[in-house]
Amino acid sequence: MRSKFNKSVLIFLLSSIGLIVFPHVYHLPAAVLSFFFLILSWRFIGIWKPDWLPGTWFVLLLTILGVGLLYSQHHSLLGRDPGTSLFVIGLALKLLEIKTERDIYLITYLAFIVAASQFLYEQNILVGVYIVAVCCVLFATLVSINSLRPRTLPALKTAAVIIAQALPIAGVLFILFPRIEAPRLMLLNEDHQTKSGLSDSIEPGSISNLGLSDELVFRVKFKGALPPPAQRYWRGPVMSHTDGRLWTQSVHKDFNRFLDKPKFTGASYQYTLLMEPQDKPWVFALDIPAEYHSPLGLNANYQLISEETPGKRAEYKVTSYTQYNTGYITKTEYHDATQLPGEPSDRIKQLVRQLHGFDSPPEIYIQQLFNHFKKEDFHYTLTPPLMEENPIEAFLFETRYGFCSHYAAAFVYLMRVAEIPARIVTGYQGGELNKIGNFLEIRQAHAHAWTEVWLQDKGWVRIDPTAAIAPERIEQDVNVDQQVASGIVTFVSPNSQKLVAFDWLKQAHQLWNSADYSWQRWVINYNSMSQLQLLSSWGIQNAKAMLYSMIGLIALTTAVLSWFLLHRKPKKTDRALRLYNRFCSKLAHQGFARSESEGARDFAERVKAKLPEKSAQIDQITDVFIKLRYSQNSGPEDLKQLHRLVMLFKIGN
Amino acid sequence: MSSISFNERWRRSRFISGEKASDESVALNHRRIFILPTQRGLGFLALNLLLLLVAFIYNNNLTYLLTFLLASVFFVTILHSFNSLSGLVLHKGHSKPVFAEEAAGFDIHINNPAPIERHNLQLTLKKTAALTLAAHSKGLVTLYSTTEKRGWHEAGAVTIASTYPLGLFRAWSPVQLNLKVLVYPKPAGADRPLPESSSIQSGQGFNKNGADDFYGLHEYQAGDPIKHIHWKAFAKGQGLFSKQYGGEKPTEIWLAYDAAAGHIEERLSQLCRWVIDADRAGIDYGLSLPGHKVAPGHGPVHSQKCLEALALF
Repeated sequence: MRSKFNKSVLIFLLSSIGLIVFPHVYHLPAAVLSFFFLILSWRFIGIWKPDWLPGTWFVLLLTILGVGLLYSQHHSLLGRDPGTSLFVIGLALKLLEIKTERDIYLITYLAFIVAASQFLYEQNILVGVYIVAVCCVLFATLVSINSLRPRTLPALKTAAVIIAQALPIAGVLFILFPRIEAPRLMLLNEDHQTKSGLSDSIEPGSISNLGLSDELVFRVKFKGALPPPAQRYWRGPVMSHTDGRLWTQSVHKDFNRFLDKPKFTGASYQYTLLMEPQDKPWVFALDIPAEYHSPLGLNANYQLISEETPGKRAEYKVTSYTQYNTGYITKTEYHDATQLPGEPSDRIKQLVRQLHGFDSPPEIYIQQLFNHFKKEDFHYTLTPPLMEENPIEAFLFETRYGFCSHYAAAFVYLMRVAEIPARIVTGYQGGELNKIGNFLEIRQAHAHAWTEVWLQDKGWVRIDPTAAIAPERIEQDVNVDQQVASGIVTFVSPNSQKLVAFDWLKQAHQLWNSADYSWQRWVINYNSMSQLQLLSSWGIQNAKAMLYSMIGLIALTTAVLSWFLLHRKPKKTDRALRLYNRFCSKLAHQGFARSESEGARDFAERVKAKLPEKSAQIDQITDVFIKLRYSQNSGPEDLKQLHRLVMLFKIGN
Repeated sequence: MSSISFNERWRRSRFISGEKASDESVALNHRRIFILPTQRGLGFLALNLLLLLVAFIYNNNLTYLLTFLLASVFFVTILHSFNSLSGLVLHKGHSKPVFAEEAAGFDIHINNPAPIERHNLQLTLKKTAALTLAAHSKGLVTLYSTTEKRGWHEAGAVTIASTYPLGLFRAWSPVQLNLKVLVYPKPAGADRPLPESSSIQSGQGFNKNGADDFYGLHEYQAGDPIKHIHWKAFAKGQGLFSKQYGGEKPTEIWLAYDAAAGHIEERLSQLCRWVIDADRAGIDYGLSLPGHKVAPGHGPVHSQKCLEALALF
């Protein structure tokens, strides 16, 4: 093989290489990418101007440059990022040397590695489909160099057919190939994807614009009925310590309660939580979780904590109750939940007194406080004014504009002034129902802060002061898309007119989200545990059975595939040929064998000379046969006629 | 490259390449088609292992999926490789006798009765010829094999192979088509004239004025009548000759084994040269070999008979 390859082969190859590296623009250092795309363009120009390609010395120089680039960007060769850069740079350099067919194969194989590296960064459906499509182009390159006359579309089609045929076996392997989790030490992807989420603390005064994002935090699929919207509180960290501005978690949050556990009443909710990658070990359970499995644990504030930091997606099965009695309060809890940064101001005391905080049962006081929020000129806004100094007082008496954490902080503060144990709970509230997949999607925009008050005989009771000022925030859904678009919160009722207009769009969106959910659950999150569960539900219990069923299924798939691929159905026109062959064999019995090179007409002439009395019949049959085989305007009628004629044809008596 | 060494190995192991030689056409089926991965295919397997390792280390399901997809493509390609040859029908065509040390050409007809295109079929005898066959079509390939000795030359097995579609596997089939060709002795140099047979004494009786009887050819000389020019020879590019006519029937010559010098092969070479020359001169000649005689005559059938006798002596 000489270096002269068909232009279309090279264009194929270089395009697929460009396509395979392209999604890395989001992940790789700009220097590495520039290096790659510069060389790729150079090579592209080289298809038409081969003289412009660099010589041996220049390639060597570029190699040194590439190695230097790699070192300057990563200082290492191990791990995801340096490894990917290594292969991308290697691929670029290899492109400058396409001399033999072997080089093309090597480049293709390198490209497959780069394709796989894409999955270490992103794993959504689109990336999956994209990579398979590019693999199709890569295979088409190989098809091209293995055919004499490369043609673009047939090559692509062949590659696509092969990939489609390979998918069933790939699926069998995916499900049945034994999964062994790599030991932690082998995990080279030390740099987890850090996603913004809830923070360790809240500081109501200092944030003037609540970051709203439609970024997914987790998805929940319920077994059975969904809890009503007003009950969908997803519990996160509990803030009980404050310095007047900043609220943080108490240091006493990991102790064990040795006496009563919470007493659960009412309906239980069983659900599966699919958490997106987090940088905190928090798992957002519905209200108070009752049943959960390792690696989950509950801290003293009834918050679910995962023992492993879920740097990647993780799925948990949890059972929760929304009605409960947590029982007694410990001394530490009481101390934490009544802590105040200093003596409250006279204005505050005056307000508490006015609302009967000091002289009536807590329930009455809470009711009074709710009324106060409603009656006075309080507003719910996502863009409150800044309150640098003494934010709680500024909010209560001056600005009166705020969102959930302002209300929660002010409420807890006022409770504590009246010596009622109270604390802020952060987490998420609500969630968007995906009607197609029947699961809830909880996004960053659903982040919420509410409060808990400890009441005699009831334990910790959830109270949401935001509900007093913006009940629709709790009972109806936040329209995340609109919030993000306008920065202003709006609440929509399900039968609003506006929504109808965008109904199909929303449905398509939900369909997509549903597909994505299934993808995440069944493809991305498939691991040794879910494999074990799935297989045992099919009655496959041990490794031996797994191996046998894998081999069996592959054999079955192969058999089906071989049948489709190798079994050739006789063509319709062959019926004419079959009939004619029957005619020929009738003659052959009488010693008139048609030789392979003999045309139907010649054969007829030869036989007619020997069998003049059959001339008419032989001519008829030959004519109809020739019409069927070679004429455009032959139809089923002719076929019938041929059949009749051949059946009637008799010789020898 | 491995493909060649496979080739040679098959050639050597006669008992495998030796599906009985026959003059019948040969249809390729599962009994005749062999498939093994190429070096590139093994490289592809190594790639798969590497990807599996990456998938394992990063515990990345999509990388697993890609690995399994590629492995599965590898597996499925076996069927496609089989399909690239399966059903083809090969039968031999004509092959013309040649002189020793010339390349003998063997025509091989390939019939593709199936409704699929066959890409890049490589037929190998000594050298490789490639062709692509459309669905329901026939093709003809001429393969050359260099001959060494006179006598029957058997070309041996023709290997038909294809690496289509991905080059990961090579499907091949050694086919014995009973390809053989008669090899005439290598003609000796033209330095020795035709032997003077005793019966050519009447040379003085040449009648140059051209009566009716064709005598022979001589090189065209200026002044020869145009109608005597041997146009056929000219058209064949053999040069310009004039026909000579003799008033009396020319006598015949005998090309005798004993008249040539040297050992057997040298003598046969010489006789071969004489047969060619005599044929070209258009005189009647007979061939006399120990134990075999070809009566004098002329014409292509006669010369073929003589050359056959020499080849098979």
